[in-house]
Amino acid sequence: MVTPLVEATDIARRFQLAGQAVHALRPASFRVLRGDRIALVGPSGSGKSTLLQLIADLDTPSAGTLAWPALGTSGTLRPEKIGMVFQASSLLPMLDLAENVALPLLLAGRTEGSRERALQALESVGLASLADKLPEELSGGQAQRVGIARALVARPNLILADEPTGQLDSVTAQHVLDALLAALEGTDAALVVSTHDRSIAARLRSIWRMDHGRLQAQAQPATEAVA
Amino acid sequence: MIGVWARGLLGARQGRLFGAMLGVGLTVGLIAAVGSFTASAGSTMTARAIRDVPVDWQIELLPDADKTAVTEALKNAASPTAMETVGYADTGGFKAVTGQTEQATGAGKVLGLPPGYREAFPGQVRLLVGSLEGVLIAQQTAANLNVGVGDAVSIERPGLAPAQVAVVGVVSLPNADSTFQGIGLPKGAAPQAPPDNVLILPLAQWHALFDPQRAARPGSVREQLHVRLSHAGLEQDPGRAFLQVERMANNLEARVAGSALIADNLAARLAGARADALYARVLFLFLGVPGILLAGLFTVAVATSGVARRRREEALLRTRGASSAQLMQLAGVEAVVIGAGGMLAGLALAALAALAWWQPAMLGAALPWVLVAALGGVALAALGILLPAWRTARLSTVVASRGGGLRAPAPLWQQLFVDVALLALAALVFWAIARTGYEVIVAPEGVPQTSVHYEAFLAPLALWIGASLLVMRLTRIVLDRGRGAVARLLAPLAGGLAPVVAAALARQRDLIARGVALVTLAFAFAVSTAVFNSTYEAQALVDAQLTNGADVTVSGSTAAPAGRLLRKLASLPGVAAAEPMMHRYAYVGTDLQDLYGIDPRAIGRATPMSDAYFGGMSASEALAKLAARPDGVLVSEETVQTFQLQPGDLLNLRLQSAIDNKYHVVPFHYIGIAREFPTAPKDSFLVANASYVARMTATDASEVVLLRAAGNPEPVAAAARALAASVPGAQVTTLGEAQQIISSTLTSIDLRGLTALELGFAALMVAGVTGLILLLGLSERRRSFTILAALGARPPQLGAFLWSEALLVVVPGAVCGIGLGFAIAAVLVKLLSGVFDPPPEALTVPWAYLAAIGAAAVLCTAGAVHVMLTLARKPDPLALRREYS
Repeated sequence: MVTPLVEATDIARRFQLAGQAVHALRPASFRVLRGDRIALVGPSGSGKSTLLQLIADLDTPSAGTLAWPALGTSGTLRPEKIGMVFQASSLLPMLDLAENVALPLLLAGRTEGSRERALQALESVGLASLADKLPEELSGGQAQRVGIARALVARPNLILADEPTGQLDSVTAQHVLDALLAALEGTDAALVVSTHDRSIAARLRSIWRMDHGRLQAQAQPATEAVA
Repeated sequence: MIGVWARGLLGARQGRLFGAMLGVGLTVGLIAAVGSFTASAGSTMTARAIRDVPVDWQIELLPDADKTAVTEALKNAASPTAMETVGYADTGGFKAVTGQTEQATGAGKVLGLPPGYREAFPGQVRLLVGSLEGVLIAQQTAANLNVGVGDAVSIERPGLAPAQVAVVGVVSLPNADSTFQGIGLPKGAAPQAPPDNVLILPLAQWHALFDPQRAARPGSVREQLHVRLSHAGLEQDPGRAFLQVERMANNLEARVAGSALIADNLAARLAGARADALYARVLFLFLGVPGILLAGLFTVAVATSGVARRRREEALLRTRGASSAQLMQLAGVEAVVIGAGGMLAGLALAALAALAWWQPAMLGAALPWVLVAALGGVALAALGILLPAWRTARLSTVVASRGGGLRAPAPLWQQLFVDVALLALAALVFWAIARTGYEVIVAPEGVPQTSVHYEAFLAPLALWIGASLLVMRLTRIVLDRGRGAVARLLAPLAGGLAPVVAAALARQRDLIARGVALVTLAFAFAVSTAVFNSTYEAQALVDAQLTNGADVTVSGSTAAPAGRLLRKLASLPGVAAAEPMMHRYAYVGTDLQDLYGIDPRAIGRATPMSDAYFGGMSASEALAKLAARPDGVLVSEETVQTFQLQPGDLLNLRLQSAIDNKYHVVPFHYIGIAREFPTAPKDSFLVANASYVARMTATDASEVVLLRAAGNPEPVAAAARALAASVPGAQVTTLGEAQQIISSTLTSIDLRGLTALELGFAALMVAGVTGLILLLGLSERRRSFTILAALGARPPQLGAFLWSEALLVVVPGAVCGIGLGFAIAAVLVKLLSGVFDPPPEALTVPWAYLAAIGAAAVLCTAGAVHVMLTLARKPDPLALRREYS
């Protein structure tokens, strides 16, 4: 039997906002397996980011059980087991690109050869020549590609990308996704990408739809969406 | 739009608004409070000067003057509240026969006082022994003639037979200098010394004795009107009061020209107070201005700590079509909120300070300062908010305005070495001042004009600015070029993250350098203020000790010396040491000087012997020399010059012998210079071995006993008074009384209010800089720490980033600030050495205050880091989805 990376049973996330209960995620059960390529789609406010944060162990479910059987326990997952790509540029402005990318390795205590591996990761997204640049000197697309390199550098088993192309034009967005998929090629790392861009979702093997906090279906991409 | 923006500011940026308001409030409060101090110090000085003047005007009636007309003119020119006629007569000398011996003095004066004189001018004559109703003799004259109550004294009258009078009391004349001053002398003329021999007669008796002398020798007898003026209408400022009184005197002089001459004691005293007011202004400049500048920098630092966030907000607004004018309007809203809030807070702070330390009535005098402070606060807020906004608005592109400027070149001042130039200027000015020894405040004796050498301020000012710029330069250099060394330094704290932390700090070197400079300035301000104030207080104590002699001083006369109580005084509870000291008189040529006979090996037990008391050698060297040479004598510089003395020269003095009460030549040898000595007058005096003086004068009477108290001197003084009651004419004085009496030097200015305000403010600045500025600076990068946490940074790893930055700002800043503070305090003390009497030998360090400041800095730094660590530990999911938060 395959040990899932993530196994959720009836997890839910509820917030209190101005005295009102907001159901950001209604009870949902799912599993994420090695090699999965999942697009998490849905309109803004549907709960995509909440779900990703729960999976990333950045947040705790209000109800249900969430486990990472093949990865470890809560508090030990990032940065080695789970890599994150954020919606907005999330590079530290006072570090150059190589240092930014090397951060997960350094946080994991893997200092030996960290710069070389950071450069390799930058190479994998086509930005090795900019290793000494500062984030303020990059375009939005370049910054997101550096974010991808950083998420990959520690070779995590699970990559979570929260709207990584949300602030990019469609051409740049495709390039960023190209870079992400290319970097993962040949690995068994799972990828979960939240997006409301159907053309991005169509390029992944599975699509999970969310609406009003409800994880509605887990489906293969429609042929027409690819076209 | 503006309303929406203002609501947004108040709703979402309270912390930053509060911080900026705090900075503006402190600035406004400090300007207003220090200004109030200056204004109230001037008023206090005027009040004190007026209160202490024994006789406001002395009007000398010229021969054939119409006294009634002069009196009428006086009433028209001024508002006299008391007026008495005083007779002055010159005599050839006095003689007295006591026992088998006859004593004679040189020339003297006989005063004639009317019956109501002592009530009208109570400070003029102080009874020591006997009664005030009859013939009185001055203490020194009584000693010269060896007479006391009941003895007869013969007065030599030029051209007439001597007159005999019987003494009923021995008195001192505390204001002899002004009472016997020469009136109508040209300006700048050397002041006249008061006569060595004085007798005081009731006016009727004086007339009976000296009206005939006036007929025989008209120039030898004169009359003066002693006048007290109404002080009700005088200005509060000593300078203006001086002019007011001087003009009144001029008016009277014009009215009585040819009939009378005026000695304007009130104006002379106000001129002194005017000099003290200038000293207060100097202190304001030296102590207050750095604080105000620091508060301004603090405010600007708080306001600009949000400049990156503001720049991003403006960039967003510009992408949505906002014009530069609209952006400036929105920044103006923030400036107005901060300026108005800070101004109100500052004025409230100043009012509290004024109520706590000064009279509320003085607030009126301080109104201009309050207005200046309020305007300053608003200007500061505008500077901190509008200027960066304007600069951002001028940037040509939105992208450019979003940039953080991490690769910005070195600032212009650094390229031009302005810091080095300023330090060189400070050293040059200080060297020039130290070399020539000129005083910051020039107040020549007898000249009404007083001026301040403001150029002397360049030394501490250039040192202050130059050193803080140098600290910025060095911080930038160390962080940039010494990245490896910084990483090694941080390794114990940051572990494997140290190189990345060092790299992050290097790229933020401008921000860090500004933080280090601000901490340096805050510490420098706190340390320099505290050290200067402590040194000032210590010197005020030394000044009082110098005036009083010791904690408690018991003074008697040669006939009834306090030394006879020595054993009893030494055994009083609370007495740590008791030492006798002779106070005699000796003629140096024709000049009668005070002579102090001491045991040089023991005198230091009862009163501190300062190096400043002696010329060209330390106190221990001077006293050792005196102890080694029994007939040695320490003399004043004036005497050395007058008699062209060289060390080892024979100096023949004339001392009164107890055998025949006559003055006899006693050989001494000059061994060194005495500039000051406990209880000694400011001008000429002598210090010799008591044992030698006792042998040569046939009496070992010690007129004075100096007591050092183990604790509070007041109970010791009370017990000493009870003992001294058995010694006729003995007086007991304490250090506290001396401190109240001293009124003509800088150290008399009451700095308590200013000190408390400045020290409290300095502590707030240190806390604000290490706590608030650090917190705001870190919170500006909260998103970075959130990202780190989201990437998987553990709390110790987050702490490594936070602590590294905090410690790199606070530790070097504190170290540099403490060093700079001591340097500035040393420069201040050196510059103001002329106003210390005597000058301090070393800085006095208030360790407790410095420790408290250090503790406040540590606590505030830890607090700021702890708050940030708490905020960053749990990543804010929303922050990760926004480009900034």
